[in-house]
Amino acid sequence: MPELRTSSADSSTVMASGGEPRIRVRGLGKHYGALEVFRNIDFDVGEREIVAIVGPSGCGKTTLLRCIDGLLPHDAGEIRVGREIVTEPIAGVAMVFQHFGLFPWKTVYENVAYGLRMAGASKADVERKVPEFIKLVGLSGFEKAFPYQMSGGMQQRCGLARALAVEPNVLLMDEPFAAVDAQTREILQFELLRIWEERPTAMIFVTHSIEEAVLLGHRVIVLKGRPSSIHETITIDLPHPRTRDTLREPRFAELRERVWGTLMREAREAEFVLER
Amino acid sequence: MQASLRRHAPFWISIAVGLAIWEIAGRASSAAFMVPFSTTMVRFWQLVTGGQFIVQFLDSAQLFLTGFALSLLVGAPLGMLLARVRVLRIGVEPYIMVLYATPMVALIPFILSIMGFGFAPKVLVVFLFAVFPVLYNTVEGARSIKPELIEVAKSYRSSEWALWREVMLPYTLPYTMTGVRQSIGRALVGMVAAEFFLSSTGLGQLIMGASQNFDTGGVFASIFVIGLIGVGLMRLGLAVEQHFARWRQ
Repeated sequence: MPELRTSSADSSTVMASGGEPRIRVRGLGKHYGALEVFRNIDFDVGEREIVAIVGPSGCGKTTLLRCIDGLLPHDAGEIRVGREIVTEPIAGVAMVFQHFGLFPWKTVYENVAYGLRMAGASKADVERKVPEFIKLVGLSGFEKAFPYQMSGGMQQRCGLARALAVEPNVLLMDEPFAAVDAQTREILQFELLRIWEERPTAMIFVTHSIEEAVLLGHRVIVLKGRPSSIHETITIDLPHPRTRDTLREPRFAELRERVWGTLMREAREAEFVLER
Repeated sequence: MQASLRRHAPFWISIAVGLAIWEIAGRASSAAFMVPFSTTMVRFWQLVTGGQFIVQFLDSAQLFLTGFALSLLVGAPLGMLLARVRVLRIGVEPYIMVLYATPMVALIPFILSIMGFGFAPKVLVVFLFAVFPVLYNTVEGARSIKPELIEVAKSYRSSEWALWREVMLPYTLPYTMTGVRQSIGRALVGMVAAEFFLSSTGLGQLIMGASQNFDTGGVFASIFVIGLIGVGLMRLGLAVEQHFARWRQ
């Protein structure tokens, strides 16, 4: 099928579903005052595609994600989600936050219900869906727990349930597993893959971890430079569904080394650049 | 049972020793300056049975509650507003700082000269004593909210009203309650000060009257009761604060 693509995007196929990409970013640029964070960002995300974004610290990955969510204004280019042009947060897009973003005075149940209630769901809908999504992320039995009573992993499961409960067609993941320990992180990665297989969406996954990016992404975008732009888009041609076995495949190691090579060259350069 | 006994023993021993020292010191000194605990209790009982105490207590309670309620009704909403509206905060903050730092007793002659005697000026004194901790803690609380939580609300397309109801208010409430606890103590001081320096009523009048009549027992009984009320209110304030702060680690 014919696809509308710009030269900068790797010519991988938009997964499944066909037709229009779900997210389309064109010529995106952003300044913080005099500081230019990124420029000329072009990429698409398919209806059922996970795009991972990696880059050195301070390269503006998180800022980019916030622009796509409509939380921050951009000052050049255009973001489209479906047919809508993003200027503020839009329906059908949900974000999972690095520090979970749970309301500490709300229980698990109330936190998960929050997104639905803000979206104007009926009481019956809330009562039906909240337990369903709490179960999906494996938190059944903890409905009445407060965030401070839970481990980081459980808190992020709750954050994930809140995002999934609004049944978005776009999920924006802002280093969602960066604040949990290594074992929990691995568990959550496979949980996320399981959930995504059950309910595929378009997903942008921002991360520091190369391994995570390669494991989850259909494509990995490497940001570089100051201001940053897309340095390379690497297609991850590993089969789905991905499991723990994926980690042992030679192709996984190859792709990880490839991203590593690209990123580390950048990181080395970035480390020795003095702040202006 | 035994564990709780061991834990509370130092408390009760300390109270017993304190009362014993009071008793001994009272017996050793002239009744013009000090009376022992036992005499204080006898005098207290006389005041209660004579009906004076109840009347004055209710009078004071009315003043305390009116002033305190007013300080809550003004302090908490104004604090939220100042936290959210930057221009207003910058304009109003210096006045709040000055008034918060000023010993309120110093304002009483001024209030007297403007408003005279009566209930209203006394309420104003209690209000001025009590309003600032509520106001100040509410502003500080509402401003300390993590930007991420506001972002979450925005990301889920919360309306401004829902942002207040679901995020700002529940987050700020424990801070306001810390202010409320502090305000309770200050309102009590304000109440006694107002009863001393403006028209003399209530428990303040009880102390003044007893003092002028060289009724040291009456003075001690009144102070003792005000102290007990203060402790009780502080405990109440602490319980309220903790109730609203359950979710804070």
